[in-house]
Amino acid sequence: MLKAEKLSCGYGGEPVVREISLTLSPGERLVILGPNGSGKTTLLRALTGVLPSSGLLELEGRDLRSLSPRERGRKLAMLSQMNTAGFAFTVWETVLMGRYPHMGRGVFSTPSPEDRRIAEDCLKGLNLWPERNRPITELSGGQLQRVLLARTFAQTPGIIFLDEPTNHLDLKYQIELVEQLKSWTAGPGRAAVGVFHDLDLALSFADTVLLLDRGRAVYQGSAAGLDSALLSRVFEVDVPAYMRASRERWERTGG
Amino acid sequence: MRKAGGSFLALGLFTLAALLLSVGLGSVSLSPGSILTALLGGGDEGTRALVLGLRLPRVTLAFLTGAALSAGGTVMQSALENPLASPFGLGVSAGAGLGASAVMVLGVSGALGAVALPAAGFAGGLGTVLLALALARAFDARLSGVTVVLTGMVLSLFFSAILDLMAAMNPDYAQRIGLWQMGSFAAKGWQGVWVLLPVLLLCLGVFLSRARELDLLSFGDEQAQTMGLDPRRARRFFIALVAVLTGAAVAFSGIIGFVDLVAPHVARRLFGASHRRTLPAAALLGGSFMVLCDLASRTLAAPREIPVGAVTALLGAPFFMLIFFKRKGAAGC
Repeated sequence: MLKAEKLSCGYGGEPVVREISLTLSPGERLVILGPNGSGKTTLLRALTGVLPSSGLLELEGRDLRSLSPRERGRKLAMLSQMNTAGFAFTVWETVLMGRYPHMGRGVFSTPSPEDRRIAEDCLKGLNLWPERNRPITELSGGQLQRVLLARTFAQTPGIIFLDEPTNHLDLKYQIELVEQLKSWTAGPGRAAVGVFHDLDLALSFADTVLLLDRGRAVYQGSAAGLDSALLSRVFEVDVPAYMRASRERWERTGG
Repeated sequence: MRKAGGSFLALGLFTLAALLLSVGLGSVSLSPGSILTALLGGGDEGTRALVLGLRLPRVTLAFLTGAALSAGGTVMQSALENPLASPFGLGVSAGAGLGASAVMVLGVSGALGAVALPAAGFAGGLGTVLLALALARAFDARLSGVTVVLTGMVLSLFFSAILDLMAAMNPDYAQRIGLWQMGSFAAKGWQGVWVLLPVLLLCLGVFLSRARELDLLSFGDEQAQTMGLDPRRARRFFIALVAVLTGAAVAFSGIIGFVDLVAPHVARRLFGASHRRTLPAAALLGGSFMVLCDLASRTLAAPREIPVGAVTALLGAPFFMLIFFKRKGAAGC
């Protein structure tokens, strides 16, 4: 679906991410791993076409950067972290906004019955239908993120990009969000690329991993094949020892 | 709380009542019946002259100005994703004040003066916003809301300083410059109405037709962008149009603050955040508010007039505080 070759990008000056090559297949859940400052979010934003980049970047055989914003909005969506809403849109209005790239451009164009049906399905699918008339400013962080997930689904994209979508969420919502995204990705012609703050959560979502170290890919492949020694070197922490200690703490607490 | 369900029928009736009250009250009080008779060309000549020649143009201009400033404020707040943004904060007022003062000090008078003053006010307001946009773009290629707000603020303060300097260097004009900056709808005739009405209708129409883009922009650039909008382009377009609209509004009446900031917040509270509802609601609310402020300005201390800008600010400033502290409180819990 998505193909990048020797993709480099940055914010002017030295590139932050250098010569990344990857392909994303339908059904794939790719997680970009790396410590702070390794270029995870930069790479993610470059892959959405939002951040200018050099090298090849193709979506279904077309240069992604040549697509119009609306064309891009029909094929790609992004879910990032948002803890508070500034304006009191209702849940329904917010989710219907996901249909924007599909709506006509005519003056006073309104959402079609199809747009409304899709928004309704997405709300019902995430158990949000009873909340549809509530202002999003009144929702908790977890509920708000679920509404934004519904909006992302309503965009009916092929690829969903995830920019640390579980930050500041309670554990319950973190797990729920990851499960909902996993089952969405199982649908036909869909894939996801994500960046997660939590290593454990990242590995529970990923089936493939791209490990970044100072802007360069040091591992690309299945999540299962990731070498823990390499992970420890890149993160400058003994990751397996930390995970073991964490498990032991739990076993003591759990009794 | 359920969906904000403000009724447009109630708002329409409130607007009509504000207009009737304002046309009816003054040195001579008129009943709604005699106003209607005068509007239809009946009644005595004195009442007709009072209604059609004096009060109606004044009330209409006040309504249109309030509506234009409020619609402009609503768009600005969403386009800059900042609930405290306003056209005046972006330099419309300082620029318009500078333009108008230049005309006063240069002493353009007579028939030319009647056109030159509003024209210079308009050009000054529009020019300042466009300059703020160009500068913001030079500093920040992404043209983020914060950069635009900061650039506008700095430019606004800079032009205000020049304005003060101008008033200090030309003491003969200082009072006139000061009064223009406080705004007034006295003795403006129909001229302002005929210019402002089409500009307002056109701008409102464009804003409404692109209301969905404003909805998206309220969520910030990154989200707007991934939903299929070019936020930089949309923001530039909206700000430029707001500058035209509010420039035209202040050109005839002078600077009248706070309506542009306050009306959008009240409209959102009553009618929700969706711009298809907020925009017309803010325009009607702001228009009515301005009409009532103007009524207060000419009746409270009659026969003296209190500058209408002072009335709106007296009511607007506490309201602004209320919003500010409420936000703080909300963030704390």
